[in-house]
Amino acid sequence: MRTLFRDGSADRVRSRNESAWLLPAGQGRANEELRATMRTFEDRDDVDAVIVGCGAGGATMAQRLARAGWRVAALDAGPFWDPERDWVSDEAGSHHLYWTEPRVITGSDPVPLGSNNSGRGVGGSMVHYAGYTPRFHPSDFETHTRDGVGADWPIGYPDLKPFYEAIEGELPVSGQDWPWGDPHRYPHTPHPVSGNGQMFQRGADRLGIVTRVGPVAITNGRFGHRQHCIYRGFCLQGCKVNAKASPLITHIPDALAHGAEIRPDSMVTSVEVDPRTGRATGVRYVRHGVERFQRAAHVIVAGYSIETPRLLLHSTSRRFPDGLANDFDLVGRYLMVQGAPQTGGRFADEVRMYKAPPPEVSSEEFYETDPAAPYKRGFSIQTVSPLPITWSEHFAGQGIWGPELRERMRDYVHWACLGALCEFLPLPDNRVTLADETDRHGMPVAEFSYSQCDNDRALMKAAQQVMEQILQAAGAEHVTTFHRYAHLVGGARMGTDEHTGVVDRDCRSFAVPNLLITDGSVLPTQGAANPALTIMSVAARAADRLIHHSTSTPPAHPTVWREHVRDSR
Amino acid sequence: MTARLPHRAITPGSTPQRFPGFDVLAEADAWDPVTAGVVLARVGPQPPLRFFSPAQEAVARPLFDLILDQHQEPRVPVFEMVDQRLAELATDGWHYGDLPADPQAWTLSLGALDQDAHQQCADGFASCPLEDQESLLRAFLDLGDDTWHGMRADRVWSLWSRYACTAFYSHPWAWNEIGFPGPAYPRGYKNPGVNAREPFEVEDRRAAHRDPA
Ligand SMILES: Cc1cc2nc3c(=O)[nH]c(=O)nc-3n(C[C@H](O)[C@H](O)[C@H](O)COP(=O)(O)OP(=O)(O)OC[C@H]3O[C@@H](n4cnc5c(N)ncnc54)[C@H](O)[C@@H]3O)c2cc1C
Ligand code: SF4
Repeated sequence: MRTLFRDGSADRVRSRNESAWLLPAGQGRANEELRATMRTFEDRDDVDAVIVGCGAGGATMAQRLARAGWRVAALDAGPFWDPERDWVSDEAGSHHLYWTEPRVITGSDPVPLGSNNSGRGVGGSMVHYAGYTPRFHPSDFETHTRDGVGADWPIGYPDLKPFYEAIEGELPVSGQDWPWGDPHRYPHTPHPVSGNGQMFQRGADRLGIVTRVGPVAITNGRFGHRQHCIYRGFCLQGCKVNAKASPLITHIPDALAHGAEIRPDSMVTSVEVDPRTGRATGVRYVRHGVERFQRAAHVIVAGYSIETPRLLLHSTSRRFPDGLANDFDLVGRYLMVQGAPQTGGRFADEVRMYKAPPPEVSSEEFYETDPAAPYKRGFSIQTVSPLPITWSEHFAGQGIWGPELRERMRDYVHWACLGALCEFLPLPDNRVTLADETDRHGMPVAEFSYSQCDNDRALMKAAQQVMEQILQAAGAEHVTTFHRYAHLVGGARMGTDEHTGVVDRDCRSFAVPNLLITDGSVLPTQGAANPALTIMSVAARAADRLIHHSTSTPPAHPTVWREHVRDSR
Repeated sequence: MTARLPHRAITPGSTPQRFPGFDVLAEADAWDPVTAGVVLARVGPQPPLRFFSPAQEAVARPLFDLILDQHQEPRVPVFEMVDQRLAELATDGWHYGDLPADPQAWTLSLGALDQDAHQQCADGFASCPLEDQESLLRAFLDLGDDTWHGMRADRVWSLWSRYACTAFYSHPWAWNEIGFPGPAYPRGYKNPGVNAREPFEVEDRRAAHRDPA
């Protein structure tokens, strides 16, 4: 193994986030003892922060605040996973990882949810995300100024850059030196490339399109007590190996060691506000069928782009009759998905695309606005490697059935597959509202309406063309493209003031001083990059601001808890 | 464990093997126990039927056979697997605004298909000859995004085909047919790359095969 660590050696990461070293070194994937000795709070304890959702944004926040000595209770609607016991190396058997509670989809281009978009449980959607972790480009933060579309963020790329570097070290990210956006390097060297990646590289090389291996949040070599990837291709089903990063293993262990409580199976149904002071007082939640209320000095919502707006809209009061922090009808709006067409190419050769992590090789050659193109902004191209169920659904979605479906599927080992991420624009009517239907808690479910604009459609077409050309250049006998969407961001975006955003540049809501939102919903635009790294970096920045620049009472609890846990280890 | 499994290298309908002798279940000893439990349950006995009524069953069984081209034994028990999912509400959660939630959408759409069939065959879809069932399905698919019995045809198709595909391609017999080895933990793969195989993977005997497109 080469020396892998560049920015922030493993030792430097360990000194600020010990998660990877807190996992079991040998058998087992979850640190039972750390969980068993976890500090717990009473509902009546006024914790410094209660966090709703332990995914990308929420878990990052929990770890940062706990390390700074804050007393944190982080609630999640789903379970506290043990990868060994709870996850399987199987596509259909992984259904329980997704948010499958009822939701209604509408609009002229409704977006199917479930397995495709959001997770449930500690670790959030990153438990079953693919693992691509590109940065946004500097242009993403000012698309309105540069291209007259989308929105400018109240922060710029330089504000986020140090947090990108920090999180890339903590995941850690593996990949070749990155030439696009703000050129940078990665802490881990790139992984070897499988058949699918080879086909992408072959076709792109012939067309003069630059590709790079990575960037993926999959350890290359040991990192702390995390194991090396075994190239088994089930990243979207949860990594049983602990090779692929998710907050469950990259941030939760360190948060526990610093005295945070992770409270799973706790569905938050409303955020309460004191009508007198206008401040949030805590959250109402249901655990094991019992309704409870956790008091807190800060409420931090991180339920992702559908559940966060749903929770805010459902948290009505005399002060906020239309939903919390919704004085200007912005909550739930400007929700985005990426156009994510997938192009398959069938080769005479055997590709066997399931034999590697689906995220392998990418290109950001088409990311920026091309002045010659009839559309603004762009797309990226990445390997994706659908497993048989998803692959057969693609064909069925084209109206293929019967003997032809079976025959196509018998070719499964011959297909290579690329996916594009097209930057769909933020539009006010793409939004979450509350439906009439209710869930088992009696809480109205989210209705998510989506309609594309012309720019969105033009991008999808352009991306399809490029991907088909690449696979043809690689020698495919036959290519075909499936239309689909990926990722969610927006829904409670940050802005310069309360007329343009729900939260400010530090993720603090304009309406309620001690209410923060630190998940994907605060992103004003989405670029053509997968969002998780950016979500974690935005949360890490928000935590930094909260800890160091908090105008509200900074908590002064020493980190005694940590020593206790160390002793008991 | 595998030595005791009665049949080896089964494919649905005993189709001629593109991957001769390839048997996913022969490797079951290499799977972690949690995954093995989930996957082997699919080749074991199915739970009793709970969701579909007999009238719905009469429509759903031939519909699944049609979608998945399963007209002879051994069959992947797609109908039973879908019944189980719907009975347990193991749905994807979301539903289109113009369709009810999945269980009700199934009930409505199977009834609608049977109604269409009655115009051709006195006793409904179940009694139609295969060619008639095929032409009914084709006519339905030709509607694209037009309305069919008050529902958008393409969305009903999405419902039917997603459940059908999820059941069928989660089954080890279907994996035998397509050369996919299934579970891969803790074993992993050591030989990725074009035309590279693991010792337990079998080369596609593709010569006999022609492009269906
Ligand atoms: C199949 C798939 C592949 C993906 N691939 C990639 C990829 O390669 N790269 C990438 O960057 N991104 C990828 N993503 C997206 C990425 O995972 C998400 O963007 C990211 O995890 C979102 O972070 P978040 O903090 O906003 O929300 P999440 O990580 O989803 O966390 C939200 C958490 O909040 C909890 N929650 C919600 N509501 C409540 C409530 N009311 N009470 C209590 N808890 C609640 C949920 O249970 C969940 O655990 C993928 C997603 C999917 C589904
Ligand atoms: S391919 Fe590697 S990273 Fe992905 S799930 Fe398997 S072991 Fe984990």
